[in-house]
Amino acid sequence: MQPPIPQASRARLFKEYKEVQREKAADPDIQLVCDDSNIFKWTALIKGPSETPFEGGVFQLAFAVPEQYPLQPPQVRFLTKIFHPNVHFKTGEICLDILKNAWSPAWTLQSVCRAIIALMAHPEPDSPLNCDSGNLLRSGDIRGYQSMARMYTRLAAMPKKG
Amino acid sequence: MGDYISSEDEYYNDYNDDDRDSLDGYQHFRFEGGCQNESAPSSKVITKESLLTAQKEDLHTVMQVLPLGEHHARSLLIHCRWDVERVLAVLVEKGKEQLYADAGVTVVEHDDLSLSKFSSPLTCNICVDDVSTNEMTIMDCGHYFCNNCWTEYFIVKINDGQSRRIRCMAYKCNAICDEAKIRKLVSARDPNLAERFDRFLLESYIEDNRRVKWCPSVPHCGNAIRVEVDEFCEVECTCGLQFCFNCSSEAHSPCSCRMWELWGKKSQDGSETVNWITVHTKACPKCQKPVEKNGGCNLVSCICGQSFCWLCGGATGRDHTWTNITGHSCGRYKEEDVNKLEHAKRELSRYVHYHDRFKAHTDSFKLEIKLKETIQEKISKLEERDSAFKDFSWLTSGLNRLFRSRRVLSYSYPFAFFMFGDLFNNEMTEAEKEIKQHLFEEQQQQLEANIEKLSLFIEEPFHQYTEDKVAETRMKIMNMSAITDNLCKKMYECIENDLLGPLQQAIHIIAPYKSKGVEKASELPLCWGPNAGDSSINDEGGCSSRKRTRIGRSCRQSH
Repeated sequence: MQPPIPQASRARLFKEYKEVQREKAADPDIQLVCDDSNIFKWTALIKGPSETPFEGGVFQLAFAVPEQYPLQPPQVRFLTKIFHPNVHFKTGEICLDILKNAWSPAWTLQSVCRAIIALMAHPEPDSPLNCDSGNLLRSGDIRGYQSMARMYTRLAAMPKKG
Repeated sequence: MGDYISSEDEYYNDYNDDDRDSLDGYQHFRFEGGCQNESAPSSKVITKESLLTAQKEDLHTVMQVLPLGEHHARSLLIHCRWDVERVLAVLVEKGKEQLYADAGVTVVEHDDLSLSKFSSPLTCNICVDDVSTNEMTIMDCGHYFCNNCWTEYFIVKINDGQSRRIRCMAYKCNAICDEAKIRKLVSARDPNLAERFDRFLLESYIEDNRRVKWCPSVPHCGNAIRVEVDEFCEVECTCGLQFCFNCSSEAHSPCSCRMWELWGKKSQDGSETVNWITVHTKACPKCQKPVEKNGGCNLVSCICGQSFCWLCGGATGRDHTWTNITGHSCGRYKEEDVNKLEHAKRELSRYVHYHDRFKAHTDSFKLEIKLKETIQEKISKLEERDSAFKDFSWLTSGLNRLFRSRRVLSYSYPFAFFMFGDLFNNEMTEAEKEIKQHLFEEQQQQLEANIEKLSLFIEEPFHQYTEDKVAETRMKIMNMSAITDNLCKKMYECIENDLLGPLQQAIHIIAPYKSKGVEKASELPLCWGPNAGDSSINDEGGCSSRKRTRIGRSCRQSH
């Protein structure tokens, strides 16, 4: 068959890299950094959206970009612990349609970050990876959910005081 | 029963008078015997060659109703699983726009679809390169990307086996990409893959079609079968394999597909052995080996050395008397266990009963297959004799009748096992079940007796007989054939109307009885004209009462 063409993904990632450098100021909530030696490994720091229990926290994401990118979605997971129905509490795996079957090659790493921020503000408790968190929301215990999420934000996503 | 036969004997005596009319008499008889109006075959064989023709028929029908190109018609049909009626139903119900949107069909004026209105170069949103417009392709939905990105994307999708529904690359764009554009771009890079893409599109007609299935032959004959009327039927492919269209296993009527599946499981895993073990043994609490009690008191020792109480299965020490075990008591009576034990015993003997009969008849069937050769020999001997008989079709039809009814009889045993077993406990009372079982068994016994008689007649050494005796045997075989045919038909009717028909919750549908045996699918004509398909769509083949088919079908869809 045809030889794998990582050049295409490399070229595209390189373009995205330049775009990120150029637009650094455009989106202060997202800070995308490429690994120094491997353009297929990225990390991102995203700010917890305001008026959510994640407000004030800074969350780290790890991107593993496949060779067939952008035809296939990047693998993204939270490195920072987060209490959210659609994020696996232990592995940080994210359940988000655009990272699975609704992926379109027109998405970029930057827009994926934006989608994840949107997911933090609008959890989908009906398809939970974190059942405890999902159950709190589904049973209507908003306060319980918020205080748990806030606690973990403080514990894991905020700089240690003192 | 005896009366019945003697009256038939008179009947045959009437016919004995004129031998010339034998064929007419036979046909007449067959008609009396309940041969239904068998029209043209209601199933078709689709070979590699006729696949295109088959697809074109349906595409043409849709294109006659809707002003669409072939690739759009194909997208619509793939979306509706090649059910033309459904396409039309959705069209009427939801309207054209909704139908198109759901199927990912975007119809646009051709002038809108050119990139010339844009100034070159344009940025491709995938590779973020600036590309001149003639290096780009715009899809019907209006999204454009560079040829390179499109090609890469198509290759990934085709290799993923998603040829039939390649959507536009833009986020949330539901549009199906134009197959001509896909073909053009992919073949420029990889002609082999473009060919595969075409084959996938063609085979979608088989894979995504409720009415079409691959022939399950091993090794595969390359054919597929299309049924025109009812998917609950049995067909014979041109490769000779007979199978149940609904479940793709061997032809098993009057067993329903579910029953046949259960039966297969039952005989495969030897679950009755398991039943016996649960009834007669207890697991050792230490090593879990099944232990059978071979006498003595209730303290049982496993070969691993562990002692346990036979009554409750709990581990105990060795100190005991005949009546009690030191430090152990489990005297409470558990009625449940006793019931379970008796039930399992009964089930085992039931299964053995039905299985033995099923096997006996399948074995006879296998033996009778060998008859074919002997009969052929006898026929040639008779022909050598230069007798008045020139036509021996009565013999081969008699033999075929024997095969068919023998098959029906053997599969009627697994049917009875489930019908009058625990499968429908919530739908029938014990009393009802008993009445129905008697009714059914009466018919089954009658059929069995007549099949054995037919078998006996056919095995007679009539090639040594005198002319008169041959004529007599001929009439006997013809009579018996008609009787068994009729009995088979009645048994199917009984099953459909009195046994499976009244069920409310479980839906079991069996393939209809075909007097002429499992229907041979006819080959689809290779050349295709607009009217070629019409005749086949309308013929309501099959027979007897198929009232429940619709219900069954709708239920199946809702799963």
